[in-house]
Amino acid sequence: MTREEMLGELRQFVVSELLDGRDTGLDEHTPLLAWGVLDSLSVNVLVSFTSERFGIAVPQSEVTPENLKDLDAYVAMLTRHT
Amino acid sequence: MRLERLISDSAVRHPDRPAIKDEGGELSYRELDALADRTARALTELGVRRGDRVAIWLNKSTQAVAVMQGAMRIGAVYVPVDPMSPAARAATIMRDCRIGALVAPGDRARPVLHGELAGVPLLATDSDAGQMAWSDLDDLDGAPEPNRGSDDDLAYILYTSGSTGTPKGVCISHRNAMAFVDWAARAVGARAEDRFSNHAPFHFDLSVFDLYAAFRCGGRVAIVPEHHAYVPGALVDFIVCERITVFYAVPSALILMVDRGELLAQRGLALRAVVFAGEPYPIKQLRRLREGLPSVRLFNWYGPTETNVCTGYEVREIAPDRSVPVPIGHAASGDRVWAVSDDGSEARIGEEGELLVSGPSVAVGYWGRPPQGDEPYRTGDIVRLQDDGEYVYVGRRDHMVKIRGHRVELGEVEAALLAHPDVTEAAVVTVGAGIEARLIAFLAAGREPPLLEVKRHCAERLPRHMIVDSVVFLQELPRTRNGKLDRLALQRKTMQEVAK
Repeated sequence: MTREEMLGELRQFVVSELLDGRDTGLDEHTPLLAWGVLDSLSVNVLVSFTSERFGIAVPQSEVTPENLKDLDAYVAMLTRHT
Repeated sequence: MRLERLISDSAVRHPDRPAIKDEGGELSYRELDALADRTARALTELGVRRGDRVAIWLNKSTQAVAVMQGAMRIGAVYVPVDPMSPAARAATIMRDCRIGALVAPGDRARPVLHGELAGVPLLATDSDAGQMAWSDLDDLDGAPEPNRGSDDDLAYILYTSGSTGTPKGVCISHRNAMAFVDWAARAVGARAEDRFSNHAPFHFDLSVFDLYAAFRCGGRVAIVPEHHAYVPGALVDFIVCERITVFYAVPSALILMVDRGELLAQRGLALRAVVFAGEPYPIKQLRRLREGLPSVRLFNWYGPTETNVCTGYEVREIAPDRSVPVPIGHAASGDRVWAVSDDGSEARIGEEGELLVSGPSVAVGYWGRPPQGDEPYRTGDIVRLQDDGEYVYVGRRDHMVKIRGHRVELGEVEAALLAHPDVTEAAVVTVGAGIEARLIAFLAAGREPPLLEVKRHCAERLPRHMIVDSVVFLQELPRTRNGKLDRLALQRKTMQEVAK
Protein backbone atom coordinates (compact mmCIF):
# COMPACT_ATOMS: atom_id res chain seq x y z
CA MET A 1 0.00 0.00 0.00
CA THR A 2 1.37 3.40 -0.91
CA ARG A 3 1.63 6.33 1.45
CA GLU A 4 -1.11 8.11 -0.50
CA GLU A 5 -3.50 5.16 -0.19
CA MET A 6 -2.86 4.87 3.50
CA LEU A 7 -3.39 8.60 4.00
CA GLY A 8 -6.63 8.42 2.03
CA GLU A 9 -8.05 5.61 4.13
CA LEU A 10 -7.03 7.20 7.41
CA ARG A 11 -8.46 10.51 6.33
CA GLN A 12 -11.76 8.87 5.44
CA PHE A 13 -11.78 7.02 8.76
CA VAL A 14 -11.18 10.20 10.75
CA VAL A 15 -13.82 12.19 8.84
CA SER A 16 -16.50 9.49 9.12
CA GLU A 17 -15.74 7.98 12.55
CA LEU A 18 -14.24 10.80 14.59
CA LEU A 19 -15.94 13.77 12.91
CA ASP A 20 -19.39 14.45 11.50
CA GLY A 21 -18.75 12.90 8.08
CA ARG A 22 -18.73 16.30 6.39
CA ASP A 23 -15.76 16.66 4.11
CA THR A 24 -14.26 19.85 5.40
CA GLY A 25 -10.78 19.99 4.07
CA LEU A 26 -9.15 17.78 6.65
CA ASP A 27 -5.72 17.08 5.22
CA GLU A 28 -2.47 15.49 6.35
CA HIS A 29 -1.43 18.68 8.15
CA THR A 30 -4.65 19.31 10.10
CA PRO A 31 -3.63 19.33 13.78
CA LEU A 32 -5.52 16.33 15.17
CA LEU A 33 -4.52 16.58 18.83
CA ALA A 34 -4.50 20.34 19.14
CA TRP A 35 -8.01 20.66 17.67
CA GLY A 36 -9.41 17.81 19.72
CA VAL A 37 -10.15 15.58 16.72
CA LEU A 38 -8.09 12.94 18.47
CA ASP A 39 -8.26 12.76 22.23
CA SER A 40 -6.85 10.35 24.75
CA LEU A 41 -9.64 7.86 23.97
CA SER A 42 -10.05 8.17 20.21
CA VAL A 43 -6.31 7.59 19.88
CA ASN A 44 -7.05 4.01 20.96
CA VAL A 45 -9.76 3.79 18.28
CA LEU A 46 -7.36 5.01 15.60
CA VAL A 47 -4.68 2.54 16.69
CA SER A 48 -7.18 -0.35 16.57
CA PHE A 49 -8.31 0.68 13.09
CA THR A 50 -4.68 0.79 11.97
CA SER A 51 -4.09 -2.72 13.21
CA GLU A 52 -7.27 -4.13 11.64
CA ARG A 53 -7.04 -2.33 8.33
CA PHE A 54 -3.29 -2.30 7.66
CA GLY A 55 -2.14 -5.09 9.95
CA ILE A 56 0.30 -2.74 11.66
CA ALA A 57 0.56 -3.07 15.43
CA VAL A 58 1.53 0.36 16.73
CA PRO A 59 3.89 -0.09 19.70
CA GLN A 60 3.05 1.93 22.82
CA SER A 61 6.35 3.73 22.61
CA GLU A 62 5.17 5.25 19.31
CA VAL A 63 1.93 6.63 20.79
CA THR A 64 3.43 10.08 21.27
CA PRO A 65 2.19 13.61 20.62
CA GLU A 66 4.76 13.96 17.82
CA ASN A 67 3.46 10.88 15.97
CA LEU A 68 -0.19 11.78 16.44
CA LYS A 69 -0.10 15.48 15.79
CA ASP A 70 -1.37 15.03 12.22
CA LEU A 71 -1.90 12.31 9.61
CA ASP A 72 1.39 13.11 7.93
CA ALA A 73 3.33 12.31 11.12
CA TYR A 74 1.18 9.26 11.82
CA VAL A 75 1.71 7.75 8.39
CA ALA A 76 5.45 8.48 8.58
CA MET A 77 5.55 6.50 11.82
CA LEU A 78 3.50 3.65 10.30
CA THR A 79 5.86 3.50 7.35
CA ARG A 80 8.72 2.81 9.74
CA HIS A 81 6.81 -0.23 11.00
CA THR A 82 5.88 -1.85 7.67
CA MET B 1 5.33 23.97 58.14
CA ARG B 2 5.71 25.12 54.53
CA LEU B 3 5.51 22.85 51.52
CA GLU B 4 9.05 23.50 50.28
CA ARG B 5 10.43 22.10 53.54
CA LEU B 6 9.34 18.58 52.58
CA ILE B 7 12.09 18.10 50.00
CA SER B 8 14.84 19.89 51.96
CA ASP B 9 14.03 17.88 55.11
CA SER B 10 14.04 14.60 53.18
CA ALA B 11 17.31 15.64 51.52
CA VAL B 12 18.87 15.95 54.99
CA ARG B 13 17.41 12.68 56.29
CA HIS B 14 18.19 10.49 53.29
CA PRO B 15 20.00 12.41 50.56
CA ASP B 16 20.72 9.38 48.40
CA ARG B 17 17.25 7.93 48.19
CA PRO B 18 15.54 8.36 44.82
CA ALA B 19 13.09 11.28 44.85
CA ILE B 20 11.65 11.69 41.39
CA LYS B 21 11.69 10.00 38.01
CA ASP B 22 10.51 11.29 34.64
CA GLU B 23 11.21 10.28 31.04
CA GLY B 24 14.62 11.95 31.32
CA GLY B 25 15.77 9.94 34.34
CA GLU B 26 15.82 9.84 38.11
CA LEU B 27 17.06 12.32 40.70
CA SER B 28 17.97 11.63 44.33
CA TYR B 29 16.78 13.94 47.10
CA ARG B 30 20.22 15.56 47.19
CA GLU B 31 20.06 16.26 43.44
CA LEU B 32 16.46 17.48 43.47
CA ASP B 33 17.19 19.73 46.44
CA ALA B 34 20.19 21.26 44.66
CA LEU B 35 18.20 21.76 41.45
CA ALA B 36 15.41 23.45 43.42
CA ASP B 37 17.96 25.82 44.96
CA ARG B 38 19.40 26.71 41.57
CA THR B 39 15.89 27.32 40.24
CA ALA B 40 15.18 29.58 43.22
CA ARG B 41 18.32 31.56 42.46
CA ALA B 42 17.34 31.82 38.80
CA LEU B 43 13.89 33.16 39.67
CA THR B 44 15.46 35.72 42.02
CA GLU B 45 17.77 36.85 39.21
CA LEU B 46 14.71 37.29 37.01
CA GLY B 47 13.32 39.68 39.60
CA VAL B 48 10.81 37.41 41.32
CA ARG B 49 10.14 38.48 44.92
CA ARG B 50 8.13 37.14 47.82
CA GLY B 51 4.42 36.91 46.97
CA ASP B 52 4.97 37.18 43.19
CA ARG B 53 3.24 34.67 40.93
CA VAL B 54 5.35 32.41 38.73
CA ALA B 55 3.51 30.73 35.86
CA ILE B 56 4.80 27.25 34.99
CA TRP B 57 3.70 26.33 31.47
CA LEU B 58 5.64 23.10 31.06
CA ASN B 59 4.92 19.50 30.30
CA LYS B 60 4.97 17.23 33.32
CA SER B 61 8.59 16.78 34.28
CA THR B 62 11.16 16.94 37.05
CA GLN B 63 11.98 20.36 35.65
CA ALA B 64 8.44 21.61 36.38
CA VAL B 65 8.61 20.23 39.92
CA ALA B 66 11.97 21.95 40.48
CA VAL B 67 10.42 25.27 39.41
CA MET B 68 7.52 24.81 41.86
CA GLN B 69 10.08 24.21 44.60
CA GLY B 70 12.26 27.09 43.49
CA ALA B 71 9.31 29.48 43.55
CA MET B 72 8.26 28.46 47.05
CA ARG B 73 11.82 28.66 48.36
CA ILE B 74 11.86 32.39 47.66
CA GLY B 75 8.33 32.84 49.00
CA ALA B 76 6.75 33.13 45.56
CA VAL B 77 3.51 31.49 44.44
CA TYR B 78 3.50 29.01 41.56
CA VAL B 79 0.74 28.79 38.99
CA PRO B 80 0.77 25.58 36.94
CA VAL B 81 -0.82 26.20 33.53
CA ASP B 82 -2.24 23.31 31.50
CA PRO B 83 0.40 22.49 28.87
CA MET B 84 -2.48 21.54 26.54
CA SER B 85 -4.12 24.93 26.98
CA PRO B 86 -4.31 27.25 23.97
CA ALA B 87 -2.31 30.47 24.18
CA ALA B 88 -5.45 32.62 24.58
CA ARG B 89 -6.62 30.84 27.72
CA ALA B 90 -3.11 30.61 29.18
CA ALA B 91 -2.73 34.36 28.65
CA THR B 92 -6.09 35.01 30.36
CA ILE B 93 -4.83 33.13 33.42
CA MET B 94 -1.45 34.87 33.42
CA ARG B 95 -3.09 38.30 33.13
CA ASP B 96 -5.63 37.48 35.83
CA CYS B 97 -3.01 36.76 38.49
CA ARG B 98 -0.52 39.30 37.08
CA ILE B 99 2.44 36.95 36.87
CA GLY B 100 5.91 38.14 37.75
CA ALA B 101 7.71 35.52 35.64
CA LEU B 102 6.99 32.73 33.19
CA VAL B 103 8.79 29.42 32.84
CA ALA B 104 8.04 27.76 29.48
CA PRO B 105 9.61 26.59 26.24
CA GLY B 106 10.42 29.59 24.05
CA ASP B 107 7.99 28.75 21.24
CA ARG B 108 5.12 28.25 23.65
CA ALA B 109 5.81 31.51 25.50
CA ARG B 110 6.17 33.80 22.48
CA PRO B 111 2.45 34.09 21.54
CA VAL B 112 1.43 35.15 25.07
CA LEU B 113 4.21 37.60 25.96
CA HIS B 114 2.79 40.72 24.39
CA GLY B 115 0.25 43.37 25.31
CA GLU B 116 -0.25 43.36 29.06
CA LEU B 117 2.26 40.51 29.44
CA ALA B 118 4.94 42.10 27.23
CA GLY B 119 7.48 42.83 29.95
CA VAL B 120 7.19 39.54 31.86
CA PRO B 121 10.61 37.89 32.28
CA LEU B 122 10.88 34.41 30.74
CA LEU B 123 12.96 31.46 31.87
CA ALA B 124 13.01 29.50 28.60
CA THR B 125 13.48 25.80 29.20
CA ASP B 126 14.51 24.78 25.70
CA SER B 127 16.41 27.71 24.21
CA ASP B 128 17.87 31.12 24.90
CA ALA B 129 14.63 32.82 23.83
CA GLY B 130 14.08 34.32 27.28
CA GLN B 131 15.91 36.53 29.73
CA MET B 132 17.38 33.32 31.07
CA ALA B 133 17.80 29.79 29.73
CA TRP B 134 17.65 26.52 31.65
CA SER B 135 21.32 25.91 30.82
CA ASP B 136 22.19 29.11 32.73
CA LEU B 137 21.16 27.34 35.94
CA ASP B 138 24.44 25.43 35.93
CA ASP B 139 26.25 28.68 36.73
CA LEU B 140 24.13 29.39 39.79
CA ASP B 141 25.34 27.79 42.96
CA GLY B 142 24.42 27.82 46.60
CA ALA B 143 21.15 28.16 48.42
CA PRO B 144 18.87 31.16 48.00
CA GLU B 145 18.32 33.54 50.91
CA PRO B 146 16.15 31.65 53.40
CA ASN B 147 12.62 33.02 53.13
CA ARG B 148 10.82 34.12 56.26
CA GLY B 149 7.45 33.30 54.82
CA SER B 150 4.56 32.18 56.96
CA ASP B 151 2.32 29.16 56.64
CA ASP B 152 -0.50 31.48 55.63
CA ASP B 153 1.30 32.68 52.50
CA LEU B 154 -0.03 31.33 49.23
CA ALA B 155 1.85 28.29 47.93
CA TYR B 156 0.14 27.92 44.54
CA ILE B 157 -2.90 28.90 42.51
CA LEU B 158 -4.88 26.31 40.53
CA TYR B 159 -7.19 27.60 37.81
CA THR B 160 -10.49 25.82 37.28
CA SER B 161 -13.27 26.30 34.77
CA GLY B 162 -15.51 29.30 35.49
CA SER B 163 -19.24 29.38 34.69
CA THR B 164 -19.14 32.88 33.20
CA GLY B 165 -16.46 31.93 30.69
CA THR B 166 -13.36 33.03 32.63
CA PRO B 167 -11.27 30.54 34.62
CA LYS B 168 -11.11 31.08 38.39
CA GLY B 169 -7.85 30.92 40.37
CA VAL B 170 -8.15 28.88 43.56
CA CYS B 171 -5.57 30.20 46.05
CA ILE B 172 -4.01 27.53 48.26
CA SER B 173 -1.84 28.50 51.22
CA HIS B 174 0.94 26.37 52.67
CA ARG B 175 -1.33 25.71 55.64
CA ASN B 176 -4.19 24.55 53.36
CA ALA B 177 -1.96 22.18 51.41
CA MET B 178 -0.15 20.77 54.46
CA ALA B 179 -3.44 20.04 56.24
CA PHE B 180 -4.35 17.81 53.31
CA VAL B 181 -0.90 16.31 52.73
CA ASP B 182 -0.45 15.39 56.41
CA TRP B 183 -3.88 13.78 56.56
CA ALA B 184 -3.43 11.97 53.25
CA ALA B 185 0.02 10.61 54.07
CA ARG B 186 -1.34 9.18 57.32
CA ALA B 187 -4.47 7.81 55.65
CA VAL B 188 -2.47 5.68 53.20
CA GLY B 189 0.36 5.03 55.67
CA ALA B 190 2.98 6.61 53.37
CA ARG B 191 6.56 5.50 54.07
CA ALA B 192 10.00 5.99 52.59
CA GLU B 193 9.90 2.63 50.77
CA ASP B 194 6.82 3.72 48.81
CA ARG B 195 6.98 4.35 45.10
CA PHE B 196 4.26 6.83 44.21
CA SER B 197 2.86 7.51 40.77
CA ASN B 198 1.88 10.86 39.36
CA HIS B 199 -0.94 10.43 36.88
CA ALA B 200 -2.76 13.77 37.13
CA PRO B 201 -1.49 16.90 35.41
CA PHE B 202 0.08 19.53 37.68
CA HIS B 203 -2.77 22.04 37.25
CA PHE B 204 -5.13 19.37 38.59
CA ASP B 205 -5.16 19.06 42.38
CA LEU B 206 -4.80 15.26 42.43
CA SER B 207 -1.10 15.85 41.68
CA VAL B 208 -0.63 17.58 45.06
CA PHE B 209 -0.88 14.25 46.85
CA ASP B 210 1.45 12.43 44.46
CA LEU B 211 4.27 14.92 44.82
CA TYR B 212 4.04 16.08 48.41
CA ALA B 213 3.04 12.82 50.08
CA ALA B 214 6.12 11.28 48.43
CA PHE B 215 8.42 14.14 49.43
CA ARG B 216 7.04 14.17 52.99
CA CYS B 217 7.95 10.54 53.66
CA GLY B 218 11.11 10.48 51.54
CA GLY B 219 9.54 8.14 48.98
CA ARG B 220 9.91 8.20 45.23
CA VAL B 221 7.43 9.57 42.70
CA ALA B 222 7.42 8.56 39.03
CA ILE B 223 5.72 10.87 36.55
CA VAL B 224 3.37 9.48 33.89
CA PRO B 225 3.91 11.54 30.74
CA GLU B 226 0.77 13.41 29.53
CA HIS B 227 0.51 11.40 26.33
CA HIS B 228 0.33 8.09 28.19
CA ALA B 229 -2.31 9.18 30.70
CA TYR B 230 -5.09 7.30 28.89
CA VAL B 231 -3.14 4.64 26.96
CA PRO B 232 -4.14 1.54 28.95
CA GLY B 233 -1.18 -0.68 28.04
CA ALA B 234 1.35 2.05 28.71
CA LEU B 235 -0.22 2.80 32.11
CA VAL B 236 -0.14 -0.84 33.18
CA ASP B 237 3.48 -1.19 31.99
CA PHE B 238 4.29 1.90 34.03
CA ILE B 239 2.78 0.43 37.20
CA VAL B 240 4.65 -2.83 36.66
CA CYS B 241 8.03 -1.42 35.60
CA GLU B 242 8.17 1.37 38.19
CA ARG B 243 6.97 -1.09 40.85
CA ILE B 244 4.38 1.49 41.95
CA THR B 245 3.06 0.91 45.47
CA VAL B 246 0.61 3.83 45.73
CA PHE B 247 -1.42 4.78 42.66
CA TYR B 248 -3.78 7.76 42.58
CA ALA B 249 -5.93 8.67 39.58
CA VAL B 250 -9.42 9.44 38.36
CA PRO B 251 -11.65 6.34 38.02
CA SER B 252 -11.62 6.78 34.21
CA ALA B 253 -7.93 5.89 34.10
CA LEU B 254 -8.32 2.90 36.43
CA ILE B 255 -11.28 1.57 34.45
CA LEU B 256 -9.26 1.77 31.22
CA MET B 257 -6.41 -0.17 32.83
CA VAL B 258 -8.75 -2.88 34.08
CA ASP B 259 -10.92 -3.15 30.95
CA ARG B 260 -8.31 -2.65 28.24
CA GLY B 261 -4.90 -2.96 29.88
CA GLU B 262 -5.28 -6.25 31.77
CA LEU B 263 -4.21 -4.68 35.04
CA LEU B 264 -5.79 -7.46 37.06
CA ALA B 265 -3.98 -10.18 35.11
CA GLN B 266 -0.53 -8.84 36.04
CA ARG B 267 1.54 -10.95 38.39
CA GLY B 268 3.79 -9.55 41.09
CA LEU B 269 2.28 -6.07 41.25
CA ALA B 270 3.87 -4.04 44.04
CA LEU B 271 0.65 -2.07 44.56
CA ARG B 272 -0.51 -1.74 48.15
CA ALA B 273 -2.87 1.25 47.88
CA VAL B 274 -5.03 2.61 45.09
CA VAL B 275 -6.72 5.96 45.58
CA PHE B 276 -9.30 7.50 43.28
CA ALA B 277 -11.13 10.82 43.22
CA GLY B 278 -12.62 13.37 40.88
CA GLU B 279 -15.74 11.52 39.74
CA PRO B 280 -17.93 8.63 40.90
CA TYR B 281 -16.52 5.14 40.29
CA PRO B 282 -19.34 3.04 38.77
CA ILE B 283 -20.02 0.26 41.25
CA LYS B 284 -19.84 -2.59 38.73
CA GLN B 285 -16.33 -1.62 37.70
CA LEU B 286 -15.24 -0.88 41.26
CA ARG B 287 -16.37 -4.34 42.28
CA ARG B 288 -14.08 -5.84 39.61
CA LEU B 289 -11.16 -3.81 40.95
CA ARG B 290 -11.97 -4.82 44.54
CA GLU B 291 -12.15 -8.51 43.64
CA GLY B 292 -9.11 -8.36 41.35
CA LEU B 293 -6.86 -6.69 43.94
CA PRO B 294 -8.05 -8.27 47.19
CA SER B 295 -5.03 -7.31 49.30
CA VAL B 296 -4.72 -3.72 48.05
CA ARG B 297 -6.24 -0.93 50.12
CA LEU B 298 -8.72 1.15 48.10
CA PHE B 299 -9.69 4.71 48.95
CA ASN B 300 -12.35 7.01 47.53
CA TRP B 301 -11.46 10.64 48.17
CA TYR B 302 -13.63 13.65 47.52
CA GLY B 303 -13.14 17.39 47.42
CA PRO B 304 -13.44 20.30 45.00
CA THR B 305 -10.12 22.09 44.34
CA GLU B 306 -11.34 24.74 46.83
CA THR B 307 -11.12 22.22 49.70
CA ASN B 308 -8.24 19.92 48.61
CA VAL B 309 -9.68 16.64 49.89
CA CYS B 310 -12.42 17.14 52.48
CA THR B 311 -13.86 13.63 52.80
CA GLY B 312 -12.46 10.15 52.42
CA TYR B 313 -13.71 6.59 52.48
CA GLU B 314 -11.82 3.32 52.56
CA VAL B 315 -13.47 0.71 50.34
CA ARG B 316 -13.43 -2.65 52.07
CA GLU B 317 -15.93 -5.30 51.02
CA ILE B 318 -18.62 -4.21 48.61
CA ALA B 319 -22.01 -5.73 49.40
CA PRO B 320 -23.17 -7.90 46.47
CA ASP B 321 -26.51 -6.07 46.29
CA ARG B 322 -24.99 -2.55 46.25
CA SER B 323 -26.08 -0.76 43.07
CA VAL B 324 -24.90 2.80 43.71
CA PRO B 325 -21.33 4.15 44.02
CA VAL B 326 -19.55 3.77 47.38
CA PRO B 327 -19.75 6.74 49.78
CA ILE B 328 -17.43 9.72 49.56
CA GLY B 329 -17.05 9.12 53.29
CA HIS B 330 -16.55 11.39 56.24
CA ALA B 331 -14.51 14.50 57.07
CA ALA B 332 -10.81 14.52 56.17
CA SER B 333 -7.83 16.92 56.43
CA GLY B 334 -8.99 18.18 59.84
CA ASP B 335 -12.11 19.68 58.25
CA ARG B 336 -15.72 19.69 59.37
CA VAL B 337 -18.32 18.74 56.74
CA TRP B 338 -22.10 18.83 56.94
CA ALA B 339 -25.05 18.90 54.60
CA VAL B 340 -27.69 21.62 54.54
CA SER B 341 -31.17 20.87 53.19
CA ASP B 342 -33.20 23.29 51.09
CA ASP B 343 -34.90 24.69 54.18
CA GLY B 344 -31.51 25.65 55.66
CA SER B 345 -31.42 23.02 58.37
CA GLU B 346 -28.61 20.50 58.77
CA ALA B 347 -29.52 17.26 56.96
CA ARG B 348 -30.14 14.30 59.26
CA ILE B 349 -29.62 10.63 58.54
CA GLY B 350 -31.28 9.66 55.27
CA GLU B 351 -31.74 13.28 54.16
CA GLU B 352 -30.15 15.09 51.24
CA GLY B 353 -28.50 18.49 51.24
CA GLU B 354 -25.66 20.58 49.83
CA LEU B 355 -22.29 19.65 51.33
CA LEU B 356 -20.57 22.48 53.23
CA VAL B 357 -16.95 22.42 54.39
CA SER B 358 -14.95 24.42 56.88
CA GLY B 359 -11.47 23.81 58.21
CA PRO B 360 -7.76 24.05 57.50
CA SER B 361 -7.79 22.63 53.96
CA VAL B 362 -10.42 25.08 52.67
CA ALA B 363 -8.72 27.44 50.21
CA VAL B 364 -7.99 31.05 51.07
CA GLY B 365 -10.30 32.11 48.24
CA TYR B 366 -10.24 33.00 44.54
CA TRP B 367 -7.55 35.26 43.16
CA GLY B 368 -8.81 38.80 42.85
CA ARG B 369 -11.92 38.21 44.97
CA PRO B 370 -12.63 38.67 48.68
CA PRO B 371 -11.16 35.87 50.83
CA GLN B 372 -13.30 33.00 52.06
CA GLY B 373 -12.59 34.03 55.67
CA ASP B 374 -14.46 31.95 58.24
CA GLU B 375 -17.37 31.28 55.87
CA PRO B 376 -17.84 27.57 55.14
CA TYR B 377 -17.26 26.62 51.50
CA ARG B 378 -20.43 25.57 49.68
CA THR B 379 -19.46 22.73 47.34
CA GLY B 380 -22.55 22.81 45.10
CA ASP B 381 -22.62 19.02 45.50
CA ILE B 382 -25.74 17.32 46.83
CA VAL B 383 -25.04 14.48 49.26
CA ARG B 384 -27.04 12.15 51.48
CA LEU B 385 -26.05 11.18 55.00
CA GLN B 386 -26.07 7.42 55.56
CA ASP B 387 -26.95 5.93 58.93
CA ASP B 388 -23.30 4.93 59.48
CA GLY B 389 -22.21 8.59 59.27
CA GLU B 390 -20.78 8.37 55.75
CA TYR B 391 -21.89 10.80 53.04
CA VAL B 392 -22.98 9.58 49.60
CA TYR B 393 -22.65 11.78 46.53
CA VAL B 394 -25.99 12.40 44.81
CA GLY B 395 -25.45 15.08 42.15
CA ARG B 396 -24.81 18.73 41.32
CA ARG B 397 -26.84 21.84 42.04
CA ASP B 398 -25.63 23.63 38.90
CA HIS B 399 -24.17 23.09 35.43
CA MET B 400 -20.72 21.97 36.40
CA VAL B 401 -19.84 18.55 34.97
CA LYS B 402 -16.83 16.28 35.08
CA ILE B 403 -14.93 15.07 32.03
CA ARG B 404 -12.47 12.39 33.14
CA GLY B 405 -12.27 14.11 36.50
CA HIS B 406 -11.71 17.60 35.08
CA ARG B 407 -14.20 20.20 36.16
CA VAL B 408 -16.01 21.72 33.23
CA GLU B 409 -18.43 24.61 33.61
CA LEU B 410 -20.81 24.25 30.69
CA GLY B 411 -21.14 28.05 30.72
CA GLU B 412 -17.46 28.43 29.83
CA VAL B 413 -17.84 26.16 26.79
CA GLU B 414 -21.05 27.93 25.77
CA ALA B 415 -19.36 31.33 26.03
CA ALA B 416 -16.57 30.10 23.74
CA LEU B 417 -19.07 28.73 21.19
CA LEU B 418 -21.01 32.00 21.16
CA ALA B 419 -17.82 33.76 20.13
CA HIS B 420 -18.11 31.98 16.74
CA PRO B 421 -19.47 34.48 14.18
CA ASP B 422 -22.13 32.08 12.82
CA VAL B 423 -23.44 30.89 16.18
CA THR B 424 -26.44 32.72 17.62
CA GLU B 425 -27.40 30.36 20.47
CA ALA B 426 -25.38 27.68 22.23
CA ALA B 427 -26.04 25.11 24.92
CA VAL B 428 -23.80 22.25 25.94
CA VAL B 429 -24.80 19.02 27.64
CA THR B 430 -22.89 15.90 28.57
CA VAL B 431 -23.72 12.37 27.63
CA GLY B 432 -22.27 9.32 29.32
CA ALA B 433 -20.19 9.28 32.46
CA GLY B 434 -16.60 8.69 33.42
CA ILE B 435 -14.45 7.44 30.61
CA GLU B 436 -17.31 7.69 28.11
CA ALA B 437 -18.33 11.26 29.00
CA ARG B 438 -18.84 13.41 25.91
CA LEU B 439 -19.71 17.07 25.39
CA ILE B 440 -22.52 17.72 22.91
CA ALA B 441 -23.18 21.25 21.70
CA PHE B 442 -26.64 22.32 20.57
CA LEU B 443 -26.25 25.31 18.31
CA ALA B 444 -28.49 27.68 16.44
CA ALA B 445 -26.49 29.20 13.63
CA GLY B 446 -26.99 31.23 10.44
CA ARG B 447 -24.53 29.01 8.59
CA GLU B 448 -23.90 25.57 10.05
CA PRO B 449 -20.13 25.24 10.54
CA PRO B 450 -18.72 21.71 10.17
CA LEU B 451 -17.57 19.89 13.32
CA LEU B 452 -13.90 20.31 12.39
CA GLU B 453 -14.36 24.07 12.29
CA VAL B 454 -16.21 24.10 15.62
CA LYS B 455 -13.45 22.03 17.22
CA ARG B 456 -10.81 24.36 15.84
CA HIS B 457 -12.73 27.34 17.19
CA CYS B 458 -12.93 25.73 20.64
CA ALA B 459 -9.27 24.72 20.52
CA GLU B 460 -8.27 28.36 20.19
CA ARG B 461 -10.13 29.23 23.41
CA LEU B 462 -10.43 26.20 25.67
CA PRO B 463 -8.24 23.42 27.07
CA ARG B 464 -8.50 20.12 25.21
CA HIS B 465 -10.84 18.35 27.58
CA MET B 466 -13.39 21.14 26.99
CA ILE B 467 -13.47 20.85 23.19
CA VAL B 468 -16.93 19.66 22.13
CA ASP B 469 -17.22 16.10 20.81
CA SER B 470 -20.22 16.63 18.57
CA VAL B 471 -22.64 19.29 17.42
CA VAL B 472 -26.39 19.24 16.82
CA PHE B 473 -27.94 22.16 14.93
CA LEU B 474 -31.42 23.39 15.83
CA GLN B 475 -33.56 26.21 14.44
CA GLU B 476 -33.72 27.57 17.96
CA LEU B 477 -32.90 26.20 21.38
CA PRO B 478 -35.80 24.98 23.54
CA ARG B 479 -36.86 27.46 26.23
CA THR B 480 -39.04 27.12 29.28
CA ARG B 481 -42.12 29.33 29.60
CA ASN B 482 -40.14 32.00 31.40
CA GLY B 483 -37.54 32.06 28.63
CA LYS B 484 -34.79 30.10 30.34
CA LEU B 485 -32.89 27.48 28.44
CA ASP B 486 -34.75 24.16 28.80
CA ARG B 487 -31.90 21.83 29.69
CA LEU B 488 -34.24 18.93 30.38
CA ALA B 489 -35.58 19.11 26.82
CA LEU B 490 -31.99 19.16 25.56
CA GLN B 491 -31.14 16.11 27.65
CA ARG B 492 -34.09 14.29 26.04
CA LYS B 493 -32.91 15.32 22.57
CA THR B 494 -29.44 14.12 23.51
CA MET B 495 -30.79 10.69 24.36
CA GLN B 496 -32.47 10.62 20.93
CA GLU B 497 -29.23 11.63 19.22
CA VAL B 498 -27.31 8.92 21.03
CA ALA B 499 -29.97 6.34 20.12
CA LYS B 500 -29.57 7.16 16.40
